[in-house]
Amino acid sequence: MSYSIWNAFQKEAGAELLKLLRAPEFFIPTLVMPSGFYALFAIALPGSHQNAEYMLATFGVFAVMGPSLFGFGVGVANERARGWLDLKRASPAPGIVYIASKLTATLLFASVSLGLVYVIAGFGAGVVMEREVWVSLFGVQLLASLPFVLLGLTLGFSFESNAAVAVTNLVFMVMSALGGLWIPVVIFPPALQSIAQFLPSYHLAEIALFVGQAPGTHHVMQSLVVVLAMTGGLAALALFSWARQRSS
Amino acid sequence: MLDEKTNQPAIIATDLVKTFGRTRALDGVDLEISAGGITALLGSNGAGKTTLINCALGLTAQSKGDIRVLGQKSGHALARQSTGAMLQNSDLPDLLTARENIELMASYYPDPRALDEVLGLCEMREFCDVQYKKLSGGQKRRVQFALAIVGRPRLIFLDEPTTGLDSDARRILWKTVRTLAEQNVTIILTTHYLEEADALADRIIVMNEGRIIADAPTTEIRDTVGGALIRCVTRINARQLATLSAVRSVNFAGRFVEILSADAVASLRALLEIDPELSDLTIERPSLEEAFLGLTNRTNGKTDP
Repeated sequence: MSYSIWNAFQKEAGAELLKLLRAPEFFIPTLVMPSGFYALFAIALPGSHQNAEYMLATFGVFAVMGPSLFGFGVGVANERARGWLDLKRASPAPGIVYIASKLTATLLFASVSLGLVYVIAGFGAGVVMEREVWVSLFGVQLLASLPFVLLGLTLGFSFESNAAVAVTNLVFMVMSALGGLWIPVVIFPPALQSIAQFLPSYHLAEIALFVGQAPGTHHVMQSLVVVLAMTGGLAALALFSWARQRSS
Repeated sequence: MLDEKTNQPAIIATDLVKTFGRTRALDGVDLEISAGGITALLGSNGAGKTTLINCALGLTAQSKGDIRVLGQKSGHALARQSTGAMLQNSDLPDLLTARENIELMASYYPDPRALDEVLGLCEMREFCDVQYKKLSGGQKRRVQFALAIVGRPRLIFLDEPTTGLDSDARRILWKTVRTLAEQNVTIILTTHYLEEADALADRIIVMNEGRIIADAPTTEIRDTVGGALIRCVTRINARQLATLSAVRSVNFAGRFVEILSADAVASLRALLEIDPELSDLTIERPSLEEAFLGLTNRTNGKTDP
């Protein structure tokens, strides 16, 4: 039995990866946008060099958010709408294999997306950090995909495929802009700054800024608690929306 | 008959009810399908065929009653391991090839068929490396059929398997279904087409508005259905009409007479010969439901002492 689950996982993860690799409308934006934006903000714009390190922390979170939200939000909604999930449910496929395979493919894409940002940071923007800092920052940012995966799952189970594309895009934009992933929230008017407190992207960026030893004070413990609570809440929400669409 | 692997009948449904809001998609279905053989569920859209299959697969929870599949609760992991399905509205991943889709489905089952065996059975070698989205509608249905059989299931559900298939693809599918039935696999299919049920099934179950209105071996049904309903105004009396060639029954409805004939041309030729002034003539096929309602009445009549 354990062998057959492992076998199913291997096949399924391979299939997920193939699906993503064969969808340029997915992988070009998710791979090119973060590194492109980072190059623009941290290298091309005048006076941006001193911000390169700060932005590495926030753009890293941005880089993992795309594949997580879109891979799960749009991917699941689409497969649900076309009846593929029904056929899987009728088959002996364990549900956990589907989620684990999608997660594996998503993390691989997130790693590549993150890697491209790091290459530009290290070689283009001249960011210099200890090796341990690079590694721990990478780990933290990769883990940051989890709450977005759960949020994506909730969207995928809750919206029909066209609506899911629109809603996921909206969520993606709000998380990026108001969470301070492009420009620091301190520049925003106070009203907008207070919104950031409710976004996981903001708190994940704060943790990344702390781990990456970026300038400024970061309330890491507070953000960590908020992120853990939000992740738990999103997990419950994902489970709830999964159960709800099943019973309908 | 019990399934040779699981030692259970294929399906037992007891007073199965499924409501969607105010609609009763299944309205008290009692049904036992023994293992082996091909059973066709026949009926118009909305008759409850698909809901019945979805309940059996565990995709839809029933509102009342019980349904057991190969001795298990529907949707149970053990039932799913022995079940294959081709659903009505279920597209496969667009960006995977037919081969990749089949291999993926095979990986879910404990003892699947080899890829090559499936490709051979379904005669789909020439397009097995094409991405699903580039296949024609008929080819897509064939890949879906391949997914239903790849797990070496004991019980296969085919929900309108030949809708959208050309005659060639239909022939291949029918042939494969018969091959599987010879291996004592139980096959349950839904269809709109009487010809399909007639060509494949040993047993036909007719559903209407969530209920089973007829359930009989195909041979019995073949005698009843077919033929034509001749409606006309004639001065010939009923007794004489009944003696005409191929006439099965005669029924007066107002000024019209309705003649159920096994061979409309023969009956009409004889009728026109004795009544050249016959008027207001229409000929129609008796609707399936009418024909089967007739069958249930007759069977009831037979069994009641």
